[in-house]
Amino acid sequence: MTKALTIGKSTEEGVKELLRSLLDSGKVKGVLTLRKTGEDGTISYALITDSADIKSSTPLFPLMPINLAKQLSLFTLQEAATEPIAAVLRPCELRAFVELVKRTQANLKNILFVSSTCPGVYPLELAVEGKTEEHVPEYWKAAAKGETAADVRSACQACEYFVPYTADITVSLLGNKEADKETTLFLNTPKAELFVEGLSGKLSEKEPEPTVPEEIRTRRKAEKEKLANEVEVKNLGIDELTKTFSRCIGCRNCSKVCPACYCHVCFFETDTAEHAAAHYERELVKTGCVNMLSDTTFYHLVRLFHVGASCTGCGQCADVCPADIPLWAISLKVGGAVQKAFDYVPGRSVEQGLPITTFSPEEFAGVA
Amino acid sequence: MSSSRKGASLAVDGNAQKAIIEFAKKSLKQGAFDAVLIPCRLSAGDSFAYHLIGSETILEAASPLPPVMPVQGARVISSITRRGKGKKKIAAIMRPCEARATIELAKLGQVDLENITLITMDCPGVMPLSGYFEDADKGNEVFHDASQKWDSQPMRPVCWICDKFSSTGGEDLHIGTMARKSGSILLVPRSPKGEDVLKKIGLSLEEDVTDWEASVTKYTDQRKQKREQNNKTLRAGIEGIDKLTQAFSACINCHNCMRVCPICYCRQCHFDSDKMKFSFEDYLSRAERRGSLRVPTDTLLFHIGRMLHMSLSCVSCGMCEDACPTAIPVAQIFTLVGDRNREAFDYVPGRSVDEPLPLTTFEREELEEVEQSGTGVLAGQEN
Repeated sequence: MTKALTIGKSTEEGVKELLRSLLDSGKVKGVLTLRKTGEDGTISYALITDSADIKSSTPLFPLMPINLAKQLSLFTLQEAATEPIAAVLRPCELRAFVELVKRTQANLKNILFVSSTCPGVYPLELAVEGKTEEHVPEYWKAAAKGETAADVRSACQACEYFVPYTADITVSLLGNKEADKETTLFLNTPKAELFVEGLSGKLSEKEPEPTVPEEIRTRRKAEKEKLANEVEVKNLGIDELTKTFSRCIGCRNCSKVCPACYCHVCFFETDTAEHAAAHYERELVKTGCVNMLSDTTFYHLVRLFHVGASCTGCGQCADVCPADIPLWAISLKVGGAVQKAFDYVPGRSVEQGLPITTFSPEEFAGVA
Repeated sequence: MSSSRKGASLAVDGNAQKAIIEFAKKSLKQGAFDAVLIPCRLSAGDSFAYHLIGSETILEAASPLPPVMPVQGARVISSITRRGKGKKKIAAIMRPCEARATIELAKLGQVDLENITLITMDCPGVMPLSGYFEDADKGNEVFHDASQKWDSQPMRPVCWICDKFSSTGGEDLHIGTMARKSGSILLVPRSPKGEDVLKKIGLSLEEDVTDWEASVTKYTDQRKQKREQNNKTLRAGIEGIDKLTQAFSACINCHNCMRVCPICYCRQCHFDSDKMKFSFEDYLSRAERRGSLRVPTDTLLFHIGRMLHMSLSCVSCGMCEDACPTAIPVAQIFTLVGDRNREAFDYVPGRSVDEPLPLTTFEREELEEVEQSGTGVLAGQEN
């Protein structure tokens, strides 16, 4: 049983109430959450310090313009947060942040994590077309039933990790039929209990996972299989990989938006990955023909190798790919296999060591 | 528009693409070049990539006019010659905007043109990548039909307003396909290098270019009008800091526009450097000044910085717009800003490799202008 706070307002309004009270009480100096800006209501993340600006926030809007873990890492890379802040983020963003903490790219100190049982987010493309708003009612209808709406990111439809692991506060969304009438906040940590003090609502003890998560999980797993098959990444043999990545234009935007890809300079952007004219001329003599966009599959393989264990399946990579390569499916497939082999769930806990930074004695026997 | 009033004709049984391949094969065979840099369809999948080809047989499989531009050709030439020229003579067969970008990169010290011969063709435009990849077979059909009719509608928005889709004079040799019979191309030399190629493959300059030129001029004028109109409409939508901020409000700071841009060559962009990583307290105090701080921060500053650095050399190829995940009309905005900036310097990127970059040169009057406006401000005349 976990402590829960019920606020007699719709979940969207209840979460805003929470954020407002955190700022007004001075318990936090800033809140990182989604906000609508400008005439056309573009949605972006914002660090809000004035509680009056919470009005324009939209903490639960089904869009992930950036993976917030990346921004939080930038905030805490040089030094830990010197003042307390709250961050409202999706489970995959939180998990990615925990991975970045383990990789010493971020710091947990002074951050209150507010996450939710996650019904997914829409692809950026939909927001670009200005069509997210019209999809939102359908989104919430599906969420109340514990389902994902049609047209949310494929990565979300296939996501089994819709319950956050390390959130201080979990907002109940998936399968919550009362979400439009009242707000249920699960207070997972003593910190959470401390921070909601003074917020008017009803405290109670509740089951930590509000609905039938197993059922949702089974459905998502099936969806994962189905979608992965649709994009023909069943076997990931070299032929299939070459074909899948043949569209790659080498822009490496997948790595730029990836929360796990934190290298300051990617190997593939260094001198070492470049060749002099003589190299191409030698290749030309050997084969009569040199593909000038040749290292793309290599790049993707190396990226999978580097980030596979920490991939939280957020789907940001696939969303920004100019050539629409189903990168989410490949990441899930490869990352999933690596994670399974090491019994590792990225972002499950800060204490669980990264697979390649730790070992168990049996592994040596395996190698020998 | 042409320095020579005559061109050479080459005809094959087939279409312009076949004729271009035939020309490339002849050039290889006659030793005009050691290799040809040309787009090819990839054997796996449905995309295209530049290939450096030294064999006539392999050249058969080339696609000189692919429906999409996955990588800007100038970047390819730069990756071959940035560290110095090679020993082999290479013919680069590419679209006019790619050749123009190559010339800009040569001026910027990122390309060595000595062993490169730039060969361009009349360009019907390219389709946006994502539209094409949704259904490549259909894309091929649409492209084929549209390019026959010189209908730019299915192409990148900057292709609709491209008034430099043909020869601009900076290239060594131009291939005219407009107003030609199917399978017949017009080879127009634009430099001694280009003339030399035609000599080597035994083609003489006997073909009249009047019809082709008239056709090009007609389309150029139409495109110029469209461009002016587009610039005007766009300007109304982005003028002033509020509207400009709004235009870039969906930017997620991925910098993909910069990475696919042929002109943006910096090894490390200032905006990706440590200089743009601030302390927690900096972010918090910036937020506190205004009540909230949009993140990622400094996105508009990035675009303005990029504009300042490369818009004079921008060839409006449209790579940036195609690669933007949030469909910001980057290429059109940069075209508008670039056109105005270039007008001030009477500069056309890629027109000539000998034409210096505006910021590397000056005219005496410019100094006087600066001096006058400077003293004017000092003397309080501005008020």
